[in-house]
Amino acid sequence: MPNETERLLTPARAGREAVIWEMERNPNILFIGEDVVHMGGVFNTATGLATQFPGRVIDTPISETGFFGIAAGAAMDGMRPIVELAFADFMAVCLNPIVNYAAKTHYMSNGQFKVPMVIMIGAGGGYNNGAEQSQCLYSVLAHFPGIKVAVPSNSYDAKGLVHAAIRDDNPVAIMYHKATMGVPWLGTPLPTIINHVPETDYVVPLGSAKVVREGSDVTIVGLAWTVHQALLAADTLLERGISAEVVDLRSLVPLDKTTLVHSVRKTGRLVVTDEDYLSYGMTGEVVASIVEADVSMFKAPPRRVAYPDVPPPASRSLEGMCMPDASKIVKAVLEIL
Amino acid sequence: MSIASAPLVLPDDAWAEEQEGVLSNWFFRDGAQVREGEPVAEVMVAKVEFEIVAPRTGTLSIAVPQEGIIQKGVPIGSVRHD
Repeated sequence: MPNETERLLTPARAGREAVIWEMERNPNILFIGEDVVHMGGVFNTATGLATQFPGRVIDTPISETGFFGIAAGAAMDGMRPIVELAFADFMAVCLNPIVNYAAKTHYMSNGQFKVPMVIMIGAGGGYNNGAEQSQCLYSVLAHFPGIKVAVPSNSYDAKGLVHAAIRDDNPVAIMYHKATMGVPWLGTPLPTIINHVPETDYVVPLGSAKVVREGSDVTIVGLAWTVHQALLAADTLLERGISAEVVDLRSLVPLDKTTLVHSVRKTGRLVVTDEDYLSYGMTGEVVASIVEADVSMFKAPPRRVAYPDVPPPASRSLEGMCMPDASKIVKAVLEIL
Repeated sequence: MSIASAPLVLPDDAWAEEQEGVLSNWFFRDGAQVREGEPVAEVMVAKVEFEIVAPRTGTLSIAVPQEGIIQKGVPIGSVRHD
């Protein structure tokens, strides 16, 4: 057994370690974004990179439309840019380069051009930041063919998914939920977010979900922040004698239907939880995918615990009412048992 | 000369008068082996983050737990020479 000391890096540090490893070995990797040179990014994704890789870390004006277009063009021309969108909400101003330049070009050029760019996005609420800095919007990107979407929930996965994203020849979005990054000014992370990060490089394959807690009575599927709420819910349910299995989706695209179906085949019950909006989102996609595979597995109708279809309120109490949490997940499980 | 235990302490210029810091994250458990120059913790003083680096290779001893308050000049832990 290797004698490796347990390293409990935060996901922000773990992901950055993967970026550094890749940048050291591939001079074509650039890191582009707002406040990445001096500030290291809003969520510490680029701390220290500009010193270590002079000229390859580029500060941009507040013009996502422009610098996402630059990144997509650079990727088509042989570079491998990592481009940061600090808040998922501002995807609204740069969907054109992400979708029409990055995601579609491989198809539209009949494979003549690849667009190997990584988009790092900060997402999620819980900080009373209001409707323009709190959304998850995972499913918006996942909806468009041609771009992969990964959402790490813990340190180990953050590093492995960033390695996988950078090495992929397609555009890949790494969407970090702010509350799962372990950035000091965002508060103390839940213990289940921080885990051992090996020093060596390793890949968590895009499109691989993971059973993070085994159970037999109900499957709870979540991603990012909601995985940790599902784990807390599973603790509460166990006190009532209910055994919950928790599946961390880890990627929306590709979607690991095999792991999902396997789990529901075992438990017969399903609750899907997501901090993204309820309607037309991940929860519906996951439920539909499993039902289409074999509806006879279900002992009860599936339930969804997601963000209600309202823009995130800035008020602390109102935002709390909207956020999916362990108590709402417990309630949903009890409804189908 | 070998000092048995090297303290982990923020530089004085991280602080203004009367400020307190908070221990944000330890990257290793108490008693772990750490290497000289390796970040072992991050702390916040007045919304500014500081990384604490191991001053030597050895065994980490944690004095201030996560979320613990830090005072100017007081070590958050130490690294003991084995």
